[in-house]
Amino acid sequence: MSDLAVSASENVSEPAALKARLNEDWLAVAIGLLVFAAALVSVSGTDVLGWAVTTSVYTDLTQALNPFAKAYAWLGGGGSLLLTYAALLVVLSAGVIALGADVRKFAIAFTAVFAIAYASWILGSYAYIAAVTPAEQQKFGLSWSLKLTNEGGFIVALLSGLVIANFFPRFAEWLKEAIRPELYIKIAIVILGATVAVTAAGRLNLASSLLLRGAAAIVEAYLIYWSVVYYISRKWFGFSREWSVPLASGISVCGVAAAIATGGAIRARPAVPILVSSLVVVFAVVEILILPFLAQTFLWQEPLVAGAWIGLAIKTDGAAVAGGGITESLILAKAAAEGIKYQPGWILATTTTVKIFIDIFIGVWAFILGYIWTNHIDKGPDKAKPSEIWQRFPKFILGFLFVFAVSLWLAVGSTPDIAKALPAAAGEANIFRVIFFILTFFSIGVLSDFRKLWQQGFGKLAAVYFVSLFGFVIWVGLLISWLFFSGFKPPLVS
Amino acid sequence: MSQPDLKGEINAAAVEPLLPIEKKLIGWSLGTGIVLLIVLIVLNHFVPITL
Repeated sequence: MSDLAVSASENVSEPAALKARLNEDWLAVAIGLLVFAAALVSVSGTDVLGWAVTTSVYTDLTQALNPFAKAYAWLGGGGSLLLTYAALLVVLSAGVIALGADVRKFAIAFTAVFAIAYASWILGSYAYIAAVTPAEQQKFGLSWSLKLTNEGGFIVALLSGLVIANFFPRFAEWLKEAIRPELYIKIAIVILGATVAVTAAGRLNLASSLLLRGAAAIVEAYLIYWSVVYYISRKWFGFSREWSVPLASGISVCGVAAAIATGGAIRARPAVPILVSSLVVVFAVVEILILPFLAQTFLWQEPLVAGAWIGLAIKTDGAAVAGGGITESLILAKAAAEGIKYQPGWILATTTTVKIFIDIFIGVWAFILGYIWTNHIDKGPDKAKPSEIWQRFPKFILGFLFVFAVSLWLAVGSTPDIAKALPAAAGEANIFRVIFFILTFFSIGVLSDFRKLWQQGFGKLAAVYFVSLFGFVIWVGLLISWLFFSGFKPPLVS
Repeated sequence: MSQPDLKGEINAAAVEPLLPIEKKLIGWSLGTGIVLLIVLIVLNHFVPITL
């Protein structure tokens, strides 16, 4: 959300603020569907998004950027980056006009926002920051690396925004028209529907076999984790409901998406779930650096337990899946040293499947909380009408569900040719999902005065996270993973 | 850019007591979760994982 949105929620009448938020929701759905539809065209053989820029882990900067599709290789990395920027500028400017904002100011500010945010992403892909596995380090000739994966670029973007917010406040003010993290993250979530569906469809056999275990993950995340973390936040740390809901969702379910979805559902001010989200990301990075090595040390004889545990413990999709990949490489290496050669892919598949099952229910949980808050807690002078539940419902979740349903149907219910072409199409859409994530994290930084928050407020938030994560979430996750996955090992290499 | 005083709010806000509906939400979530987990563990025993 922009700072304007924060101001609006405080100074403008509720109907006006609500209308603005709903417009932004629908705009996110429209842009997300536009990206999805454009990506789907590639299924027919006409690639209309292949020019989108991708960033590889690099040591030579000239090798970092490339168009997604080889057919557009003639553009080169720079051309592809410029084209991606131009396309985003045109689409988002049209959206901003629809929202009634100053499009000229937006266009100028967005140019700076995109430049700094994407430069941060490129920096995060530098091999000394991003290389994770020993094989990657060897490939780039490194003796060490921070092992942040290229998603460390999210953190770099966040830090860039924080520097601007805290040391260059006049520049931050100048950027504000394009600082719209809520819009960016909602678009990203709509697009994410395609990736989630394709991943699930690609592992249907395993997914169906893991259905029971996925149900356990859902029960654990939504019913057990959430209620305990919410209680800890409210009772032990004295946080208000507005803070506790996104905090519990962020720690229990799936970081950024859950915090924002449930925060929106209970009508928390936009700044609240965004700050919680940034906390989740920081902790996810810490987890990704620690948990895979713990799994290698203590769970290498139970690989699927390790995979499920990573999926349950790390709270953002990207970090969890990346953590599953690291865990797999570490455990396979350890097992091989002991003379056991497991087939690769199974640990990561377990992590991904567990995470997907949890993700699918974010919308349902947001709806349940929205219903309870609307009818029993945030009623206002008049009793809430059923239509208000719909009004407050975060519409971008409908976009996510629509994209997911269509993608899943195409993957499993259409022709083999379409099913075969779909992953590439989803991959193209995913490029824009990543870019909108980058813009989100940079915007979060620009909006956040962490100097003050760290002194008191942010530390207190972090304390809830620390107590919940290390005192409860990790250990219960381990127990559940053990109960459902122990004794089952990946097949051996023949 | 104006910024809501979130840190002051976090630390200075009066404690909101748990409402009965919140207690219900926590209790029912936790209770339902534990019961469902037990059911799933039993099911897991009879439907072993297949890779």
